[in-house]
Amino acid sequence: MDLIEIAFSAVRVSTPLVFAAMGGLLSYQAGMLNIALDGFMIIAAFAAIATAHFTGSLELAILVAVLGATMLSALLGVFTLKLNADVFIAGIAIIFMAYGLTALLLKGILGEDGVFMSSAIPRFPTLDLPVIESIPVVGGIVSGHTLLVYIAWLLVPLVAWCLYRTRWGLRVRMVGEAPEAAAAAGVNVDSIKFQTMLLSGVLCGFGGAYLSLAYVSLFANQMTAERGLIAIAAIFFAKGHPGWTALVALLFGLATALSVRLPQVTGAAPQLLQLIPYVVTVAALIIVGFRTARSRSKHGAWKFGWN
Amino acid sequence: MSAEVSVPPARRSITASPIFGKIAASLVALFISFLLGALLVLALGESPLEVYGLLISGSLVGMPNFLVTLQMMSPLIFTGLAVAISFRAGLANIGAEGQMLVGALCAGYVGYAVELPALIHLPLCLLAAFVGGLVWALLPALLRVYLNVNEIVVCLMMNPIALLLTGYLSTRVLKAPGPTNKLPDIQPTAELSTFSLFSQANTGLIFALVLCLIFAVVNVRTMRGFEWQMIGKNAKFAYYGGVDVRRRALTVFLVSGGIAGLAGAEQVLGQYRAYYDDFSPGYGFDGIAVAMLAQFNPLAVPLAALLFGALNGGSAVLQMMTGLSKHLVQVLQFIVVLVLAAKLSWDWLKLGRSQTAAPGSDPPAEGPHVTAGDR
Repeated sequence: MDLIEIAFSAVRVSTPLVFAAMGGLLSYQAGMLNIALDGFMIIAAFAAIATAHFTGSLELAILVAVLGATMLSALLGVFTLKLNADVFIAGIAIIFMAYGLTALLLKGILGEDGVFMSSAIPRFPTLDLPVIESIPVVGGIVSGHTLLVYIAWLLVPLVAWCLYRTRWGLRVRMVGEAPEAAAAAGVNVDSIKFQTMLLSGVLCGFGGAYLSLAYVSLFANQMTAERGLIAIAAIFFAKGHPGWTALVALLFGLATALSVRLPQVTGAAPQLLQLIPYVVTVAALIIVGFRTARSRSKHGAWKFGWN
Repeated sequence: MSAEVSVPPARRSITASPIFGKIAASLVALFISFLLGALLVLALGESPLEVYGLLISGSLVGMPNFLVTLQMMSPLIFTGLAVAISFRAGLANIGAEGQMLVGALCAGYVGYAVELPALIHLPLCLLAAFVGGLVWALLPALLRVYLNVNEIVVCLMMNPIALLLTGYLSTRVLKAPGPTNKLPDIQPTAELSTFSLFSQANTGLIFALVLCLIFAVVNVRTMRGFEWQMIGKNAKFAYYGGVDVRRRALTVFLVSGGIAGLAGAEQVLGQYRAYYDDFSPGYGFDGIAVAMLAQFNPLAVPLAALLFGALNGGSAVLQMMTGLSKHLVQVLQFIVVLVLAAKLSWDWLKLGRSQTAAPGSDPPAEGPHVTAGDR
């Protein structure tokens, strides 16, 4: 019973990771590592909560969240693709600008410092899936989530289908693997990269809206808590494959869910348990490093450089 | 024969010198940032003139305010210098926040737990902070240099880990008796002395300035400094030119972490006189903006730190006097970073985009040098 509960909350916790990871994965496949996912999400989380507070409409809130995150991704896209900015430095700037901007607007528009809650914000209804609900273990884990959770998990096969079964997906992967060849074949490399950047903004918009409206019903400064970067670690770990990425995100979610539940059981210091998702992420990155190093020595390629 | 090669003096204008281009780019970035900031302030229903006036008067006008600015700029010089030397070598050490926290904890611990004469105690505390920061940079550095894992992601993970670990140690393990979450006060022998009663600005500031001077000399006058720049500009070229790229990169990264740790020492030994849990309002992140505005030049770091330190000092006044939050400064800082990331240069400003598209200029950051991706 308790295990089912933890699995249920793992699905819940990993949903924003899945949104962000699917978005980041698209630009990763197009050969552009977009580290600003966290910035997109925090903007979306704020836009969602502010819109929901003023209009009381969840649909409108999600729309505004997606728009906000997409605008920010367009900004990053313009800077990296048109203005030759380094994607990492521009990405760092976008992340911290977004943190600052949301904190500023929180005070400026909603008049709160740090945390904002409001009774005017409607709750997301939970959906009970008709047949699956009655299956003993699976039903307890899969059924009873909000709509956005189902959207997130349905995105995974959708993204995989787009990447591996459509002409557009082929172009994206081509741009990522051999930009010169893609350009020679008549593919507009920058345009494809820009499209994936915008899409990662759209998906992070959903992720951010989920975070502030469905996962909790409040906004707090830096509430994304490095989820965008955990999503990137998941992408690295799964080598950019959508299904595996989602699975890794689920495992990260499980680690977080455990870290939320454990204090009640063990009485250990809360700080040590909050460490779990970060430590798991760093551990995953270490594994990625060793795996990459091995395959590199096999192929004899020498790689160093960032600029 | 040589007359053909050298540029005729008549054609040399001041605008052609690289220093001028860099200064111009920084000023343009600042201008754009303040302009956008003004629009933002206007949109939030405040007067930009009043807000900027408060930021300046709250930080630079009057001796006490100016001393507070000196106090605010000291940690930014350390973190800015730390970020600057790593960026210059092509390594994005943005974990200065975490390295500073660990360095501060080490300095705070050695500061109270050891009893020694001041002549040895203070250097020992500084050394402890340096080593603490260095150790916290070790993992991202090793992963980056030997396994090609993206250091930005690792660094940004190490920051919350540092915050939680130091939080655990200072609230549970090493906590001083009493209600506040802090370590016991440091011994007087470990203190960095302050200049005046009105501010916590301390001799750490002078130490920071000397450090900047040292690295300015190292960068320009020594072999190591040249090699660090070379691996930042073109690691492959450096490699084929016989530079031990990995060793140099590792050294830069660790030194950078150590300097960020010293920022923590300045805070603990000079300003707070004990390690307080969660003391930093984000000096490590401000360091990124300082380094970018200074364009990685150690001599420009104090100036950039002065500007952002002043803004930070003024933002406290802003928060009290208006409906705006102190985060306005953070937005301004990172607009500067974003604009400067676009490789602004004087040529670029003059010629528009035709220059950036020219063959042989820096290629746009593209594709599979995505570190840590096996493709």
